[in-house]
Amino acid sequence: MKIRKLFQKTQFGIFGLFGLIVLSTSALTIYTVQTHLSTEYEGNSRNIAKTIADASVDILLNRNLATLQSLIDQFVEIQGIRYVYITSDTGEFLAHTFVPGIPEVILESDPNETRAVNRQLPGMGEFVEVGSPILAGFAGTVHVGMDLDVIGLKIQRAIGQQVYLISILLVVGVLGSIWFVNLAARPLGELLAFAVKLAKEEDADGAETEHILARDDEAGELARLLLHISQRRTPADEPPPAADGTG
Amino acid sequence: MDTQNPTDKDGRTAPAARAGLTRRTFVRAGLAAMLAPPWLHSMNAGARAAAMRGIGPDGEIVLGVSAAFSGPSRGLGTELYRGAKSYFNHVNQNGGVNGRKIALKLYDDGYQPDPCVENTVKLMLEDQVFLLFGYVGTPTVTRVLPMLKKFQAQRVYLFFPFTGAQPQREPPYGDFAFNLRASYRQETAGLVNNFVRIGRRRIAMFYQADAYGRSGWAGVRAALARHGYEMAGEATYRRGTRFTGSMRAQVEILKKASPEAVICVGAYAACAAFARDAVDLGLRVPIANLSFVGSENLLNLLSEGQDDPGAYTRYLVNSQVVPSYEDTSIPAVKEYRELMARYDPQVPKELVKEAYTPFPNSFVSLEGFLDAKLMVEILRRLKGRPDRSGLQEAVFSVRDYDLGIGEAVSFGPERRQGLQKVYYTVVEDGRFVTLDDWEAKFG
Repeated sequence: MKIRKLFQKTQFGIFGLFGLIVLSTSALTIYTVQTHLSTEYEGNSRNIAKTIADASVDILLNRNLATLQSLIDQFVEIQGIRYVYITSDTGEFLAHTFVPGIPEVILESDPNETRAVNRQLPGMGEFVEVGSPILAGFAGTVHVGMDLDVIGLKIQRAIGQQVYLISILLVVGVLGSIWFVNLAARPLGELLAFAVKLAKEEDADGAETEHILARDDEAGELARLLLHISQRRTPADEPPPAADGTG
Repeated sequence: MDTQNPTDKDGRTAPAARAGLTRRTFVRAGLAAMLAPPWLHSMNAGARAAAMRGIGPDGEIVLGVSAAFSGPSRGLGTELYRGAKSYFNHVNQNGGVNGRKIALKLYDDGYQPDPCVENTVKLMLEDQVFLLFGYVGTPTVTRVLPMLKKFQAQRVYLFFPFTGAQPQREPPYGDFAFNLRASYRQETAGLVNNFVRIGRRRIAMFYQADAYGRSGWAGVRAALARHGYEMAGEATYRRGTRFTGSMRAQVEILKKASPEAVICVGAYAACAAFARDAVDLGLRVPIANLSFVGSENLLNLLSEGQDDPGAYTRYLVNSQVVPSYEDTSIPAVKEYRELMARYDPQVPKELVKEAYTPFPNSFVSLEGFLDAKLMVEILRRLKGRPDRSGLQEAVFSVRDYDLGIGEAVSFGPERRQGLQKVYYTVVEDGRFVTLDDWEAKFG
């Protein structure tokens, strides 16, 4: 037990290092995943809006709004897309997927907006909305709303998985370091016990003594050195024979 | 060649014709077969296979049906089927069409587009039905139309779907479907014109958030625009909503628009829920429904268990695309009632997932009956062995045909809808009766 004190600082150092790795990796993961997924979702929304816009031209020009509605209904089935609506060049809502009605926020927004806009819709949640012009805007605009809650959930799940993995590595690393420290400390313990026996001038014979003396590492060398020193010291330390004073 | 050699009903060469074959003919035929290029053999085999399509093992003509037999709109598929089957049963019992019976291959789509597409693939490619018949709903049919275009070489046509939407009446898919009923555009225009005429100009809409609702929405919008008006307000609901669902949010939205009439484009369960909540929340204006709603089911939901059966129904006005099934002075109605009573057809048990008590008579089953009657007439006009390639010609040969409802039916390359007339009904004494005087009722 005393020997472990020798490694306490090392162990704390290892814990600290692992903690730093966990924190920095998690922070980097959160940033990367969030940035990556947000960009990807926005890009996907934009692609979907463009796909609908491209597919809508003929349908819109033929004024076939049932087919147009059928088209946008299929896109709402894609995970993350919560609403799609199409406005005409005059800003009229030609088709949409809102239930029970078009939210006031959307009704009051710019129908020709194509940049990414964050929207808070009462009773529905938070969304990022992108737009794509139909026939360069002359036939109208397609708007696609992605659910930020779904994106957030996906980010949380991705981060959770990363943190879970790193946490497992941390626990395994810490347990491993303890095991290695104990492994390294065992010969030192045996050496200490051997040295104590020599100091007490106890009988140094036995299996444990033979084991430590047989080791070919530093502990074994130290044991043999201690034995040698103890054997050399014994004659010198003996008191000199008494002088024949009567003589 | 079928036109030169007499053939039996399955297309086999008649014994008399075979007896006329000589050894020289066989030798010539053998030499011709040896010398003919290989692709000619496959073409003949392909043509023979195509000719076999749609004919059952007993020589019957197989029609493919995908409809709502489950879910909140199961009443529509069930009633349409019952009406059609009563007439097909009658025809089959009397020798069939040109000696062939008519069989229906049924699938349930629950009024959902994806199952409907899957069913259509099965009907076209696996079951190889002769034609598609009696589909139910706009969101389902609009998704199937591109399939018909994709497989246009096989000439599988869709006959008389239970929807008044435009996509199957116009390019690019109009060539693959034939309609009997008047369109939603005609129904909504009639409703708007009548409301405007009696001074109700602030018209709002409650509609299903899909292609069906949008089709009706477009019709109302266009009809209002012709009068110089805009829609007063609009609210939507999700397809599949049941009568137990709340429509209070939708009613509140429409109340803010202060409408003088509301036109509903939906199925009976949701429209009944809306009518109930509208009355409960004080929105007491005429509530119009299109023919697709399923009037009897709507009435049933709104009057069942009510102390005052008219509490929720006195504001209803429903447009119909067939005459009243109560009017037995109409020959086709008399025939329909007789055959429905005689056969009382039921949906096959394997398709029944939820209990449904059918009505002895209904607008929807009358429409199914008329669909079947015209279908039989078209099949009768096919010359020789039933072949899909002759279907379009047979349909276009229908000119001023009397179905027995007082309106002549005609088809042509530019006319893919047989009937044009719209009827209006209101609830009186617990049943739908024809509305003759809008001013007196809603003025």
